[in-house]
Amino acid sequence: MRGTGFSFVAPLLVLMVVAFNAPIVYMLGLAFWEKGRGFTLEHYQGLIETPVYLKVLGNTMRIALIATLANMAIGYPLAHWMRGLQNRARLIAIALVVLPFWVSILVRTYAWIVVLGNGGLVNRFLQWTGLTDAPVSFLYNEMGVTIGMANVLLPFLVLPLFAAMIKIDDRLLQAAASMGAPPRTIFWKIYFPLTLPALAAGTLLVFILCLGFYVTPAILGGGRVPMISNLLDTLINQIPRWEQASAISTILLIVTLLIFAAYRRLDRKASA
Amino acid sequence: MIGGSPWTRRLLATVGVLALVFLTVPIVIVIPMSFSSAKSLTFPPPGFSLRWYETLFGNPRWMEAMWTSTVVAVISSIVALVLGALAAYGLRRGSFKGRDWAEGNFMAPLIVPTIIAAIALYLGLAKIGLLGSFVGLVVAHTILNVPLVMMVMGVAIREFDQRIEQVAWSLGASWSYTVRKVMLPNLAPSVFAAWVFAFIGSFDEVIVTSFIAGKYETVPKKMFNELILEVNPTITAVATLLIVLTVLALAAVVMILGRAGKLKPTLV
Repeated sequence: MRGTGFSFVAPLLVLMVVAFNAPIVYMLGLAFWEKGRGFTLEHYQGLIETPVYLKVLGNTMRIALIATLANMAIGYPLAHWMRGLQNRARLIAIALVVLPFWVSILVRTYAWIVVLGNGGLVNRFLQWTGLTDAPVSFLYNEMGVTIGMANVLLPFLVLPLFAAMIKIDDRLLQAAASMGAPPRTIFWKIYFPLTLPALAAGTLLVFILCLGFYVTPAILGGGRVPMISNLLDTLINQIPRWEQASAISTILLIVTLLIFAAYRRLDRKASA
Repeated sequence: MIGGSPWTRRLLATVGVLALVFLTVPIVIVIPMSFSSAKSLTFPPPGFSLRWYETLFGNPRWMEAMWTSTVVAVISSIVALVLGALAAYGLRRGSFKGRDWAEGNFMAPLIVPTIIAAIALYLGLAKIGLLGSFVGLVVAHTILNVPLVMMVMGVAIREFDQRIEQVAWSLGASWSYTVRKVMLPNLAPSVFAAWVFAFIGSFDEVIVTSFIAGKYETVPKKMFNELILEVNPTITAVATLLIVLTVLALAAVVMILGRAGKLKPTLV
């Protein structure tokens, strides 16, 4: 039996099933079926036997991991600092985190070409201070891609983390202080554990997004830093191997959903 | 308060400020670059000129891309808004079998990596012969922006006291009268916010569009293709326009939600 309210949901549900669910199911089908022979795992066998695919997978994992760690290292202090700010300063800080979140990812990636290029700001600064003689190449290698990704994804970690930190009651910390706990103990024994679920959830979210990143590696990697998404692009648009692309997509989808399930559990804990 | 010694506080403030600089540097740097007189990308620009804007507005292909982007964004954001708001209402007020499942399904485009959505849509549209069609493009953009509408409208409808609706009904108001005179005036700020988010989402969409748009060029698609080929300063002008558009849209959302006192629940 359908209860109340279903008729409001139905139009969108039909559109979603036809234009989103069905294509994904069709893609899964391509990954597991071979014309005339039915179910097959041969597209996956092809993946394992091709070293390039494994190398790209390793690349993606490594870059995703480094970018995620960088996000944690920058995001946690930032969110913590924002929590301690006064009203007006805090509002400005929030605006400066939210605005990049909404600005086109292309714009944010593109600007790094100017900042990180051989004649760019960072290199001129490094040479001016005498730290290096020759320009350091940040672009078109893993370094540039990692910096760009960390930059694009930072708001995804900072915003939920800040939301969790702001909920922590100051009186809890004052109580600990009044009973003689030094700041270090208060931070590690009370404050940090309370922010841990949000930190873990945000980190997983950033990691998921890293795995499927496409635009930033394509631009800042200059074709030299292939990640899964760029490989998929090649398999669809350049050397059409749809079955192979479907097989890789299926793996990426399953991994993403598994991590997302973990994220949901942590997120519920964080907002409880 | 925690924070410890003045030294740790100073260190924290330094890290915080540097993090904000890191976050905003790409946006801050692009704007002055777009007014540069130089042919190459150097910062700071050697002189002021509007040449890149002239190049941009004088290029019929960029103008066409802007037109396509606008049309796609207008149609898809309105469809996403109408269907998404109705669904959010049904989900919040109704109770039917599979409600959680439906809600999860509507949010899925946010979780499924966009590249996978792009490939699935590419394969699916190719199968039914709609690859590179305008309809396919608009439908894809609609689906991708449904989660944004659901998030904003879901909160708004949950916060809107159901008893106000019930009072209108019990006083004999018709369904359409209740919607027009009671619900919409109350929900208007959130509806506006949801529409703006969906519009920006569509206007900035690049991955799915690059895969399925065929001969249609949108602003981000053209920008992406040019960025891969060469570094062209005209892009700084496009980027600046996109930044200005985003800032204005967000400012409008903040103002309208703030005036209605709905800023906090929508953002957190």
